[in-house]
Amino acid sequence: MPEIVSRKILIIGISGGLAQILTRLILQNHPTWTIYGVDSRSTKSVPKLKGLKTVQMRYSRGNFENLFRDNAFDYVYHLARISHSSNIHESLNERFQLSVMGTNRILDLSLRFKIKKVIILSTFHVYGALSDNSIFLPEDSPLKASMKYPELRDVVEMDQICSTWMWKYQNQVSSVILRPCNIIGTQISNTMSNYLLSHLALRPVDYNPVFQFIHEFDMAQVLYRSIEDLPTGIYNVTTDEFVSLRDALDIIGSKGIPFPISMASIFNKILKVTNFNVPEYLIDYLKYSCLLDNSALKKQLGNDFFRFKMEESLKLLKLKS
Amino acid sequence: MFDQFSMKLSSSGKERKTEVYKNLHIRYKDYKDPWGFNLKSVEKAMDIMLPFYSKYFRVRVFGLENVQDKPYMVVSNHTGQVPIDGMLITMAMAYEFDKPRVLHSMVERFMAGLPFIGDLSAQTGSILGDRENCKWLLNQGESILVFPEGVRGINKSTKNFYQLQKFSSGFYRIALQAQTQILPVSVVGAEEMFPLVFQAAEVGKKLGLPNLPIPLNLFPLPSPIDIYIGKPIDVPVDVSPDATEKEIRPYIYKIENEIKRNIHQGLESRREFFDWLRNPVNKFIKRF
Repeated sequence: MPEIVSRKILIIGISGGLAQILTRLILQNHPTWTIYGVDSRSTKSVPKLKGLKTVQMRYSRGNFENLFRDNAFDYVYHLARISHSSNIHESLNERFQLSVMGTNRILDLSLRFKIKKVIILSTFHVYGALSDNSIFLPEDSPLKASMKYPELRDVVEMDQICSTWMWKYQNQVSSVILRPCNIIGTQISNTMSNYLLSHLALRPVDYNPVFQFIHEFDMAQVLYRSIEDLPTGIYNVTTDEFVSLRDALDIIGSKGIPFPISMASIFNKILKVTNFNVPEYLIDYLKYSCLLDNSALKKQLGNDFFRFKMEESLKLLKLKS
Repeated sequence: MFDQFSMKLSSSGKERKTEVYKNLHIRYKDYKDPWGFNLKSVEKAMDIMLPFYSKYFRVRVFGLENVQDKPYMVVSNHTGQVPIDGMLITMAMAYEFDKPRVLHSMVERFMAGLPFIGDLSAQTGSILGDRENCKWLLNQGESILVFPEGVRGINKSTKNFYQLQKFSSGFYRIALQAQTQILPVSVVGAEEMFPLVFQAAEVGKKLGLPNLPIPLNLFPLPSPIDIYIGKPIDVPVDVSPDATEKEIRPYIYKIENEIKRNIHQGLESRREFFDWLRNPVNKFIKRF
């Protein structure tokens, strides 16, 4: 018997590559479900799929209220964290408004409109890249990202708002916060994928941090399975594998430009004048490791739920270039 | 007590080196750690250290019979202003045994963040001295090297040479948790690498360093080094890693005493500082 249960899902941030993979995955498995995709960016690039409605809108309280009021959503995916890396020219205040205040609105409405489950995409960046990081940080590790760089305050604050809300209303709304390691793939355009593929990538000669990578399809799978298989809680998302940055660049075949990253801050100050600078708070992620412990996720999803080996994910990234 | 000392290295030179590298490859073929361990870097570092180990510091290792092919928490006194003692113990663990191991030494927090040095340390198996890091390595069956005296031990002024500083208890709690045997090691001779030292602690603090020793000489002097390996010490099964300091301290005293005893024995039977000059001088005299 084909599935006749219908569910309505809201995906915030539909223009992103990951959201689009997730959409396909949901619709493939549940053709009767409806997805409502919204984004503040243009949605023209989002493929037209049966069961998917997209709309470009400003992330304002009024717009979200109308959206929640007009559609009885069952599940909400909040994938619209304003990337701190892709909006370096945006003011901190603007980013804070979008990431933190926007998230607050979504959570508030999810509670009011009795959403069954809210799935929030955070990031491993919240833990911070510090020279004295322990290996394999569990979910209850302190979020130190904004300790050194206040520019990362929105990233940490958004995560913390979600965590507080999650535990406060756990009896009313089920929610999941995912903190993935570096997501890489040909369909997403994030800092790490772009960095690894860039011919002008700075190849650190003085540091060689160890990284964890997850393929975009595996990440989409985790998002998809969050609906049914993950109970309320925070989960680091990563495979068991890790690789040093230089080895990762070698696997991809990216020669990069050998550069002492310890000099990057000085170099950056010069580039600042030309608006070409890399945010200083991201430089530390090329110096120090920030590795995640995935045991909480494995406990729920099993030991071998990832389809792609890390080396395979890195090699597949080459297809993008 | 120590009637045996190793001469394997000096007696068989290159052959021994090839054998050691071959055995290291067998052991670490599939080993990968989350700090970027690289066997090639280990070999390069060993190539550089070897002449210093065998010719310059003329290292002798006593107590080889106390070591088996199993993971240990190697606990040593810390001397010599710069951590050359750690490198020499690591060399000894790799070179003096039939089944060599790369000993993972624990480095200070400030060092792990230094450009080049932090990376090179990690590649050669030295990592940040953090409990989780130690636990991970011990669970992987690796041996680790700890200096429970910390910076207080290595940065001693001349008048305090060979005075063992109070051990911190963190290492013992990790050993209790992992139920790993402690291998007490005493190094004699490293203090004299930098015989006259002034401590500019205040300047060091301003530079973000735990201390700033200013030695008279900038390059270590060729002081003959003796490494004494004591008998492994079991950790009790009925003491919790979260036990009070009072409960744990007697066990730590036992380790401190063992290391102290071997330092004293070593100091009594150590070679003269300039013994390396004796042979060339004698040869020179005989010419006439």
